Amino acid sequence: MRRVLLILAAAIIVAGAAFWFLTEPELLDGSALSGLQPGDPARGERFFFAGGCASCHTAPGEGATELQLGGGGALETEFGTFIAPNISPDPENGIGAWSEADFANAMLRGVSPDGEHYYPAFPYTSYARMEPQDVIDLFAFIKTLPPVAERAPDHTLSFPFTLRRGLGLWKRLYMHPEPVIALDANASESVVRGRYLVEGPGHCGECHTPRDFVGGLKYDQWLAGGDAFEGEGRVPNITPGGGIGSWSEGDIAYYLESGFTPDFDSVGGSMVPVQKNMARLPAEDREAIAAYLKAVPAVEEQGNEQ
Amino acid sequence: MKKVVLSFAAVLLSTAAVTAADDPISVRKALMQANAAAAAVSGAMMKGELEYNPAVARAAIANFNASAMALGDFFPEGSQTGGNTTAAPAIWENPEAFQQAVAKFQTDAAAAMQAAGRQGPADLAAFQAAVTPVLSNCSSCHEDFRVQN
Repeated sequence: MRRVLLILAAAIIVAGAAFWFLTEPELLDGSALSGLQPGDPARGERFFFAGGCASCHTAPGEGATELQLGGGGALETEFGTFIAPNISPDPENGIGAWSEADFANAMLRGVSPDGEHYYPAFPYTSYARMEPQDVIDLFAFIKTLPPVAERAPDHTLSFPFTLRRGLGLWKRLYMHPEPVIALDANASESVVRGRYLVEGPGHCGECHTPRDFVGGLKYDQWLAGGDAFEGEGRVPNITPGGGIGSWSEGDIAYYLESGFTPDFDSVGGSMVPVQKNMARLPAEDREAIAAYLKAVPAVEEQGNEQ
Repeated sequence: MKKVVLSFAAVLLSTAAVTAADDPISVRKALMQANAAAAAVSGAMMKGELEYNPAVARAAIANFNASAMALGDFFPEGSQTGGNTTAAPAIWENPEAFQQAVAKFQTDAAAAMQAAGRQGPADLAAFQAAVTPVLSNCSSCHEDFRVQN
């Protein structure tokens, strides 16, 4: 009997150690940021709009401008309600006291300065595909914005999602910093740029790709559409197999610039702030996104697993 | 003869009135289609695909103006579902915000109508200045008041 108990105890310790090992937050190598240029806020502004940071990190409702990143935007999901934190340069309530390495670990590894996993409501699964230089430039831009001295409320999640450590396993399954779509060796510069913008900073796949029951992206149905996070409705399939299959590259770029489809229906729902951000990018970026969306594999629309 | 014509007109009017009252979803969809057509002409001129013409520009603006005045009346209680509507529940859950959005569309369209004058905006730049605020209502209203599709 005593032996059984000992074996059981040992098994629990081994399982616990394995869990601890497998869920350990992984930080960037010390060398990851060496050799970079100092952060350039002008370059960073482009990634600020490509990434749509303001869409979640500005307070909802009237008043706050897109550059007051006090947080507070809520994302209601089946796991609970996630609240976007304050990422303004306020040292107490925001990220004003962060180092470049702190910011890079948040964006590229999904790990906080305290060494905890972030929830993937913060789409680091996409941002992990960004170039470290672009992340540092984005940080430099955010540092130029006005500090907001207000703390955003905490997430309200249900158990077991309150335990952040378990996200380490989730990351092992679903976080893939390499490109999603393999392109031909002779793919144009524009298509490659478009892949970077869509798969990385633009994080388009976070809404436009269906998810499985633990919230992981189904990469084999990349950009094939999914259920809307909030309210009723669908996020459309934006592969050539979806409704935009008949659009030209020019149509896609014009939609991102003006908010009008080729039939002059207008953008709606949560794509509205996204399109406004896309309109702020240089035309070549919108053209690159359009070129990439024409190059991804056509997928028939399927949907989320419930 | 005159009497016949008059009664015919009366029948037409009453048919139209009955249709509008019975089927607000079809009416608002038709108004939205008219808006889309006016936006298409506006967009084509601004993109340079269609040569600028002040009379066409004025027709587009007049279309937005008429639609803006009418549209808000075709979302009555009970028309939340049916007819493949993509109207969002928020219209009925938050009627004040919806009325504000309609009022903004009306204000912007009326201002464009004023700017267009009797001859239409003199040139493309004047048209663009007049119609851009009107067009911004499409996405701002569809952000909250249309179901994503």
